[in-house]
Amino acid sequence: MEQRPTAMERATHGDADSFAMLIDPLLQPAFRLAAVMLSDRTAAEDAVQEAAAKAWSKVSQLRGDESSLRPWFLSIVANECRMTRRRRWWSVVKMADVEAQRRTDDLSPEATSDLRRAVGRLSLDERLPLVLYFYLDLPLDEVARTLRVSPAAAKSRIYRAAKRLRADLTLEEVS
Amino acid sequence: MSRESFRRDINRAFDAMSGPASPALSPRVRSALSQPRPRNTGPLWMAGLAAGLIALIIVGVLVVSNFNRHQTSGVPAGVASPSPTTVATAAPSASPSALPSPISPAGPYTCAASDKTNPSAPLSAYINAVRTGTHAGYDQVTIQFSDGQPSEVQIVTQTSATFTESPRGQAVTLAGQDGILITIRGADGHTQYSGPTDFKTNYAVLVELRQVQDFEGTVQWALGLSHNACYAYTFLSNPTRLVVYIQQ
Repeated sequence: MEQRPTAMERATHGDADSFAMLIDPLLQPAFRLAAVMLSDRTAAEDAVQEAAAKAWSKVSQLRGDESSLRPWFLSIVANECRMTRRRRWWSVVKMADVEAQRRTDDLSPEATSDLRRAVGRLSLDERLPLVLYFYLDLPLDEVARTLRVSPAAAKSRIYRAAKRLRADLTLEEVS
Repeated sequence: MSRESFRRDINRAFDAMSGPASPALSPRVRSALSQPRPRNTGPLWMAGLAAGLIALIIVGVLVVSNFNRHQTSGVPAGVASPSPTTVATAAPSASPSALPSPISPAGPYTCAASDKTNPSAPLSAYINAVRTGTHAGYDQVTIQFSDGQPSEVQIVTQTSATFTESPRGQAVTLAGQDGILITIRGADGHTQYSGPTDFKTNYAVLVELRQVQDFEGTVQWALGLSHNACYAYTFLSNPTRLVVYIQQ
């Protein structure tokens, strides 16, 4: 009995519907990544759309199974965010354009605002491992694949960036 | 702050910066993907650019080398090498295969006296090399200067090979039947030049070259010729040198 090709196989052979179906669940995390990286929701949506188009044009280069898709696509999104920032290097870097609408239960607005300001002071390359690891809750090896570094290097990057937000952080807490 | 509370706090901060994506994002992306897939032509584009650059470099090298060939062809082969040397040479550069040309590398020959002045000459033009050479159609004398052209060069032909040495006033007879006297004013032939002052060349027409004066800013070189001959001369630069072509 002939085995039906998987969505991944169909996508890599040029089936746009299959590709759209595969990346659809990744659009939300991709948007959250881009929004934190760019501090601009409109620019983040544009970056995700552009990244999806680029991923589609390079889908034949994708190797591995479906588990490879998320780090591969998120790394394209991160690159697109870097390019967006370079394109508007002359502009003022904006903080989030939408004020937080939800209230926190056990954190004062001032504390949230302080942490946001601290995040805002991080460079793009510092924010990226934090978003991947804490916000998108990716496992360490997937963070490493998205950053295209070894897991040890990814852990070190997460720790260095987090330490800028919390001075008393220990490496063991990043695991 | 515990590890879990740190994670919770940072996620709230990220949430405040991000929020959910617009519901229109998914249709936007689907619409973008429904467009014809752009071909990934990066490597081809780069290969084309690289090929173009290589072709440009090759053309540039050819043009430059051709330009240099044209430049050096203005100076006859074996003539006064541009490398500054203080050693004079009497060794001829042989290139006897070509037919004699009625025109020298410096233009038409003349048999009359000629004079050339240089108003922007240095106080004293120091001679630092004297060379001779022979080529198809002409023999050649090169007098090289270290600091620019002298104030005046005068060349006179004569029907004998006898000249007067100065300042002694003694007559000196060179090899050959006829002669040419090169007088260089505003020059110094002894401070930087320590080479021979008498070259016995025995070329087709130039048979001897001898310095007959180096005194009070005037340097004279006498040429003994095997027969009556016309000449042409020019100044070449880098280094500055007077080149006299004697027609064979």
